Amino acid sequence: MSGASKRFGETQALDNVSLELASNEVHCLVGENGAGKSTLIKILAGAENPDAGTITISGRRYANLEPDTAMELGIATIYQDVELISSLTVAENIFLGREIRRFGGSIIDFKKQEQDARLLMDGLNISIPEWAIVDTLSPADQQTLQIVKAMGRDARIMIMDEPTSSLGLQEARALMKLIRDLRDRGIGIIYISHHLEEVFEIGDRITILKDGRVVKTVDRGDATQQEVTTAMVGRESPAFHNRSEIRRGSEVVQAEGLSKDGMFSDCSFQVRAGEILGIGGLVGSGRSELVRVLFGDMFPDSGQIMLRGEPYVPVSPKDAIHHGIAYVGEDRHIQGLFPGRPVLENVSVIHNESSFMLNHRVEAQLAFEATGQMNMVMAGLSQRAGSLSGGNQQKAIIARWLLAEFDLLILDEPTKGVDVGAKSQIYQIMDHLVEEGKAIIMVSSDMPELISMSDRIAVMRRGRIVRVIDSKDADEQQLVNEYLGLTGAEENER
Amino acid sequence: MNVGFGQAWRQRIVKNQWFFLLLVVIALSVIATIVNPRYFTLRNLRNLLDQISVLGLLACGATILIISGNFDISVGANLGLSACVIGLLIGIGVPPAVSGAIGILVAVAGSAFIGGAALLFRAPSFIISLAGISVFQGIALALTGGTLQTIYGEYEALGSTRFFGVLPLLFVIGLMGYFLVHFILTKTQLGRRVYAIGDNKRAAFLAGIHVTKNTMVFFLLNGFFVGCAALLMIARVGAAQPSTGAGMELQAIGSVVIGGAPMTGGRGSILGTFFGVLLWGVVANSLNMMRVNPYFQQVTIGLLIIVAVAVSSLRSRAEGKL
Repeated sequence: MSGASKRFGETQALDNVSLELASNEVHCLVGENGAGKSTLIKILAGAENPDAGTITISGRRYANLEPDTAMELGIATIYQDVELISSLTVAENIFLGREIRRFGGSIIDFKKQEQDARLLMDGLNISIPEWAIVDTLSPADQQTLQIVKAMGRDARIMIMDEPTSSLGLQEARALMKLIRDLRDRGIGIIYISHHLEEVFEIGDRITILKDGRVVKTVDRGDATQQEVTTAMVGRESPAFHNRSEIRRGSEVVQAEGLSKDGMFSDCSFQVRAGEILGIGGLVGSGRSELVRVLFGDMFPDSGQIMLRGEPYVPVSPKDAIHHGIAYVGEDRHIQGLFPGRPVLENVSVIHNESSFMLNHRVEAQLAFEATGQMNMVMAGLSQRAGSLSGGNQQKAIIARWLLAEFDLLILDEPTKGVDVGAKSQIYQIMDHLVEEGKAIIMVSSDMPELISMSDRIAVMRRGRIVRVIDSKDADEQQLVNEYLGLTGAEENER
Repeated sequence: MNVGFGQAWRQRIVKNQWFFLLLVVIALSVIATIVNPRYFTLRNLRNLLDQISVLGLLACGATILIISGNFDISVGANLGLSACVIGLLIGIGVPPAVSGAIGILVAVAGSAFIGGAALLFRAPSFIISLAGISVFQGIALALTGGTLQTIYGEYEALGSTRFFGVLPLLFVIGLMGYFLVHFILTKTQLGRRVYAIGDNKRAAFLAGIHVTKNTMVFFLLNGFFVGCAALLMIARVGAAQPSTGAGMELQAIGSVVIGGAPMTGGRGSILGTFFGVLLWGVVANSLNMMRVNPYFQQVTIGLLIIVAVAVSSLRSRAEGKL
């Protein structure tokens, strides 16, 4: 693949990316969320067409691939989510879409299919029973089955996107072994993973993507994990925001030992008035679930919360709002916006909940002031919120809380998918709110944001708060290490 | 094809669906008058207003439910049951006012049953209310034994009073229903919740709106309107039977959709519903006056809903482009 580019609207998802894959190597792709890995896979699988660049496979050159040509060329993609039909047997899944038929094609020869499936799996040293219903298989076996399915189609290039994300350690090891096996049979593998240990265990070469560009491609022996993470996160011009110094007040929220099975366990933290507590960690580390507890949208199995020194057990978001807690969720389309309703109603919803009758004059005045404070760009208060730009939608959702009384504001990915201008506007409002003595808890995947906006950063890994760092002492490198639980970080655990 | 013109045209419909409906109503009336001059007589217009007053009340309840993203297609059967109860009570000598009140309570309970079951089992209210039709009709049949319940002219004053000899009291009561819903939707936070829950239930919940409780209130309001409609119906017709009101759910929901509320909820207005109901009445009446075969009337009415849905879909597509 050479010089591939892809643009989605204003985002340059891929910019002149070249990648080379030999027939018996494992080539790992690493990069932050949004670095362009998924786009790259989609182009190879034929799901997206590149704007520029070519793909050369076994000497033949293509400007783009269609899904069926990709399949014919032996390119198989194994996505994060298992794509199998769970009510069918292993053998039926392997032969899905190319069933073995008899009697002139009208009847599927299940027996022959099972025999062939057995042969195929024996050849790969896989012991999954061919007659088992997929639903009854473990996630690891399902993942393996996807690989078998691809092999059954004579795949020569296999693309694996986070194949171990739902597997335990043992299972992941078994998968690694299978991948090495495949490589030794002459199959080229593109392997995408967040887990650098895995990458260094299995990869022959490693390509680091950042902001749609290839930072570099290195041989495994020539780089350390540190060098790779630095290349992943390194920024030329950090988008840091300078916060003003604020004197912290009394404790607003103190959480003790919050646990919820499968989501987070034994999490304790506290936030003071005038303070921003950042929560960092990988997506899926339990960050969003933990903060939803404070808003009465998730109920912990155990642990307590003290709000302004009093025990606090929110039963619903309504209850939490009455207790002075505000919340802006990570996905504004699902959790915040009323896309079909005018900006006015989107902004005044919290304020209006306090009385039965609407006061149109007061409501319009307050909404006007709040949207002005947020510097919102819009045709007017009657514009439908769904037709605003992403940044202005987010501002509208934050603006609704400006019309409410609260002591603690919870922001989950407050600047996700918003433009630079809106971003700094949101930072200014946050700054302003803490100056007024509000406390803020901010979950964020944006490292510069986390470091520059937070006073302290709680790092979550696999549902636990593994460390709380003063943001003055934090750098991106250290945070990534903490997120991934790399060597050196473990000793510092509380 | 001039794209700019097409968009402008679409946007105009988007902005003023009720105006569009008014034009259709006028056009239909002109055609009907030309075909049969008796269409444009006091007597017939009075009749027309009579006919749409019951439908109007049902459509009022349906407006609240559809905007909030809910459905009750059992309103016709619920109306039938409520009317039968009123008829039975009057038949055994219960005072008419008490009978009417009980009838309204029956309808409120019926709608609460639908809403409650939908909320409890987290099932679409559409399906629950589909089953509700059978429940309500069954109860009505069991109570009446399938016989006609006459009320011996008890609600005569309600059914036949006309202001200035033309404006039926029934229609005035129907108008009050529209005003009530308009008031709720535009002047109260309850109305905002109707829109908010219909537009984005999850966001409404996270904005501190008690979605379950409010949805229940919407169903109770719907039941109240169904009960009032049942009372008007029995006052107008003078008798009730289990099949009374059958099929009216289609007309009520159709009116709301013709009025411009998308089936996905979140948008709509009572003005739209008013003109939707009016159009419905005018179509039925004018087809009658033009002596169109009743079977073809049914076909026409079905096609009308399809046209309305097409316009509604055009609307949302046009708005998506704005």
